[in-house]
Amino acid sequence: MLSVSSPLILTAPAFSARPATQARTRVKLAPPHAFATASTENYTSTSYLPPYHPHYMAAAAACSSFYEILGISTGASCQEIKTAYRRLARTCHPDAVLATNLKDSSAGEFMRIHAAYSTLSDPEKRADYDRKLLPRYRPLTATAFSPGYRRRNWETDQCW
Amino acid sequence: MSEPAYTVASDSETTGEEKTSSAFPEIAIGIDIGTAQCSVAVWNGSQVELLKNTRNQKMMRSYVNFKDDVPLGGVSNQLSHEHEMLSGAAIFNMKRLIGRADTDPVVHASKSLPFLVQTLDIGVRPFIGALVNNVWRSTTPEEVLAIYLLELRAMAEVALKRPIRNVVLTIPVSFNRFQVTRIERACAMAGLHVLRLMPEPTAVALLYAQQQQQTIHDNMGSGSEKIALIFNMGAGYCDVAVTATAGGVSQIKALAGSPIGGEDMLQNMMRHLLPDSEILFSNHGISEIKSMGLLRVATQDAIHKLTSQTSVQIDVDLGNGSKICKVVDQEEFQEVNKKVFEKCESLIIQCLRDAKGEPEDVTDIIAVGGCSYIPKIRNLLMSICKKQELYKGMNPLEAAVCGAALEGAVASGVNDPFGNLDLLTIQVTPLAIGIQAVGNNFVPIIPRNTTMPARKELVFTTVHDNQTGALIVVYEGEEKKVEGNHLLGYFKIIGIPPAPRGVPEINVCMDIDASNVLRVLAGVVLPGSQHHGIPVMEVRMPTVDDGHGWCAEALHRTYGSSLDLDTVQKKI
Repeated sequence: MLSVSSPLILTAPAFSARPATQARTRVKLAPPHAFATASTENYTSTSYLPPYHPHYMAAAAACSSFYEILGISTGASCQEIKTAYRRLARTCHPDAVLATNLKDSSAGEFMRIHAAYSTLSDPEKRADYDRKLLPRYRPLTATAFSPGYRRRNWETDQCW
Repeated sequence: MSEPAYTVASDSETTGEEKTSSAFPEIAIGIDIGTAQCSVAVWNGSQVELLKNTRNQKMMRSYVNFKDDVPLGGVSNQLSHEHEMLSGAAIFNMKRLIGRADTDPVVHASKSLPFLVQTLDIGVRPFIGALVNNVWRSTTPEEVLAIYLLELRAMAEVALKRPIRNVVLTIPVSFNRFQVTRIERACAMAGLHVLRLMPEPTAVALLYAQQQQQTIHDNMGSGSEKIALIFNMGAGYCDVAVTATAGGVSQIKALAGSPIGGEDMLQNMMRHLLPDSEILFSNHGISEIKSMGLLRVATQDAIHKLTSQTSVQIDVDLGNGSKICKVVDQEEFQEVNKKVFEKCESLIIQCLRDAKGEPEDVTDIIAVGGCSYIPKIRNLLMSICKKQELYKGMNPLEAAVCGAALEGAVASGVNDPFGNLDLLTIQVTPLAIGIQAVGNNFVPIIPRNTTMPARKELVFTTVHDNQTGALIVVYEGEEKKVEGNHLLGYFKIIGIPPAPRGVPEINVCMDIDASNVLRVLAGVVLPGSQHHGIPVMEVRMPTVDDGHGWCAEALHRTYGSSLDLDTVQKKI
């Protein structure tokens, strides 16, 4: 899932494990606030990453939208987002995890939660994110483009 | 009476990290090392309790007197008179001097103190000396602080009847990572292990979170969110924080800080009362030190009185033929310190702006620290936030140490059956961290007020054709040019494939982990699959030690701009 449209983030990129062209595209797209538009690209881990990353990335790959990360619905209110963030911080923040061997993995997990929160708690960033997210998540409700074909699928597409 | 024999470890690499035994969770104590006063507090099982010294004091003056064979700090020593601290034999204001080079304006401002602060303006540690038997005996801020911490530790051990090792310390927001290492060094010298360092207003924020938790009795963040503006100003530093609190979670939204404080106001007033005082005292002769001490005590006294009365009569005989008789009122005091108050105002406004909050959103204004008693400061806070009053639930002088003690208990894994320790602080970076780019520009990679732990990266490129190496010079601070920021370290990456300038990609990543350790990683992004060619560099920062003022200059002299980097964004 190397979507070139989703800029970079939390995970350090695999410096070298991908063709340069893709890396270049990504760089262009990464705005200074890349953190806020984090995606869950499934990077190949390299020695560049501290040991905890493979672990946390496995989790990242398993759950792919910010809404899923925070455990809320796509229609969640601002209050619900904040509450969910705090609830998760209480269990996932490294300071809340007393076992020292889990601190590193919790750091990764908390960064992921915070990235989700910082995007969804900002109305503008959330709207941007929703625009990118929703076509992928609700491919069957693209009503604006095909009012008569609500149950469009690959086969109906072929029958245009 | 014999005190337990503690020895100050040598000033060498001692982290003390390796001895942490998790089998016996001791409750870490909270220490607030103030520029003027210190205090110690601990969670006693049901609440935070301030510890007292043998003279029943909770607040102890921060100084170490070198007059006798054994240096005596303000914890155990009893001043017969205020002037004793100003004879040149006592070193104080350690917190203003620690981790600063002799080119730093704050160090220069300390030159009118009674003890010796000598600067050569070459970017090294200043020479600090205490006057003992007409000899300037040299010491360092780290050593003075270590001696003082040793006394605090002994005091806490007597009070709690157990060995003390783990501490939570509060530090000013404006402290850079190099200064933090100096504080950790002083703690290690005193046999203390720093469990956590908290910016002072975030300790206050934690106490506020606990108070809100107790009053509301809600759980798990379901209560309404409260936004607090915390203003902390003591003798040496001014800090501001904006925090969003609900359900025991204190989420720091923004921090701002500066090394301005009561000491600056005191010096401004002394200069106002005796315009040529600095020239007079620059020689540090015995009689001048005495005059300076007399003026300092009289001015300090006047400033204290001005917090509760509109004008004050200053009457002091400096002993060298000059006398000062003057009435100073509030307005005059405010005029003399106009710049200080302006700086306070800009810090508050900046912090609110960074927190993306409107002044109207602020639920509570919390003013703590010695300077929070100054009427002008209180009015400033209320007018900016358009509020009629300040938060009343805290003792301004004890709030920070109480917060540190709470954090100590939380971080030690103590459980409270009543939920009083169900607390969490989500911290942010107080200063931006970045690297030097072409033209001595500072390019932040982790901006100020980024939630920690954090990991961010940026791609850079070469500035010369066929450039095969690059220097990664890491700075911390807020200035656009690197000269205005603090050098944390540097390293070189090699093996950039020869190419026209602007083509190669060098990825620089910064990682602040769960323990607030900063690592800088850098590597060349190679085309294709030949990715095992050049290993990535990973460097834990800060790496610079003393003489950090020299390093940047030496690098520049040796390499010029030949190993410079530029940001990729600019090129595209």
